[in-house]
Amino acid sequence: MSCGVVRRRLSRWLDGELEAGAARRLEAHLAACAACARRARELRAVSRLVSELPALSAAESLAASVVDRLDMARRPALGFLFRGFSSTRPFILPSLVPATLVVVTVLAGVLLFDSGPLPEVHLAPGGAWGATPALGTEGNPVFPSAGIDLPRETTSVPLPTEALSGDESVFLEQLVARDGSVADVTLLEGDATGTASLMNALRQQRFEPVRYRGRPVAVSVYRLISRMEVRSPLT
Amino acid sequence: MGAGEIPLEVEALAGPARDRELVARCREGDTAAFARLVSLHERMVFNLAARLLGDAEEARDVAQEVFLQVYRRLGRFEGRSSLKTWIYRIVVNQCHNRRRFWHRHGRDREDPLDERLAAPRAPGRRPPGPYEEACAQERARTVQQALLRLPFPQRSVLVLREVEGLSCEEVAAALGIPDGTVKSRLSRAREALRQSLAGLLEEGDPS
Repeated sequence: MSCGVVRRRLSRWLDGELEAGAARRLEAHLAACAACARRARELRAVSRLVSELPALSAAESLAASVVDRLDMARRPALGFLFRGFSSTRPFILPSLVPATLVVVTVLAGVLLFDSGPLPEVHLAPGGAWGATPALGTEGNPVFPSAGIDLPRETTSVPLPTEALSGDESVFLEQLVARDGSVADVTLLEGDATGTASLMNALRQQRFEPVRYRGRPVAVSVYRLISRMEVRSPLT
Repeated sequence: MGAGEIPLEVEALAGPARDRELVARCREGDTAAFARLVSLHERMVFNLAARLLGDAEEARDVAQEVFLQVYRRLGRFEGRSSLKTWIYRIVVNQCHNRRRFWHRHGRDREDPLDERLAAPRAPGRRPPGPYEEACAQERARTVQQALLRLPFPQRSVLVLREVEGLSCEEVAAALGIPDGTVKSRLSRAREALRQSLAGLLEEGDPS
């Protein structure tokens, strides 16, 4: 038996897995070959080093924490938090990728194609069938809301509030046209006498055109004006 | 519910008979029986995971995961192998998955195991002196590092054979691989360790 064959079989021999005849021949070789005998001793020592590794134990018993996790996992609402997510559902993560792509594509499509003209609202004024002016025009203004900013005044016009008595206030609607000028001012509540100059001043105001979805729109704002303070505009 | 509620007649059983009884009770949803099953096998599971992963924190985490899997899969346990053999396979698979996860996430370095986590020594054995203790810990660290350098399939076979003391046939059954594969992996693993532990082997024959 050559040294090469002996060395290939040493591990099996150490495990007692060689047939009796082969084991005898190998042992005869070891008795005669110092190098192979040394190799056998080293392999035996390797086995001993590994088998004598100290047995490690967790700092505290696992039973309580495992049973706790089991109880948690049994609760349907919280179970997914305590389950080995990727180990119990190995295919869910890869399948999330196409799902995410689909969602992103749909969202992108919606955002891309949602920049067209504003939808027209058709009403029947006075009972007769007919189209109201397009939304965002002076005839059918929009109101400040999320996405529609309040108009910002470009030229400051002082408001003559002297005509109002001490605790009197007026409530007005100011219609800011698409070009930023004031198309109309309507007194909604308050004494009409003595407010003419105030309404006139409001008509002189100029605003930055309000834009919605990239195009200018007419905006209607409500304003509450009193002598002491000008609280406006209101939405 | 605690492990103390397991009836005495189950405790009186040993080995496979006790495992069968515990498995039957666990299948009925008996948490106390499951806690007992965990406490019977947790040392083996933790030690095996720690030796295969080289990281005590990860080993504890894997051990918990192993027992949760054992519980979930008890319905599929056919009893053809022993419960312990069945658990060995789950531990090795979990450790293998964990290592692949590390590898994918660029974490291939383990925190060295603290060999002082060693289980208490058997009573009656003379306690070692501080020098002997330090030498033993250093030797264990070196061997553990060498183990971690082995490819995982070789390492798992060697640890089951040498640390758990399974026969080649039992290792083959636990891992579901042919007997010949076990023997050739063992041979390669021992030869690799013989070379990497040459320094330890030369210092003095541990025999």
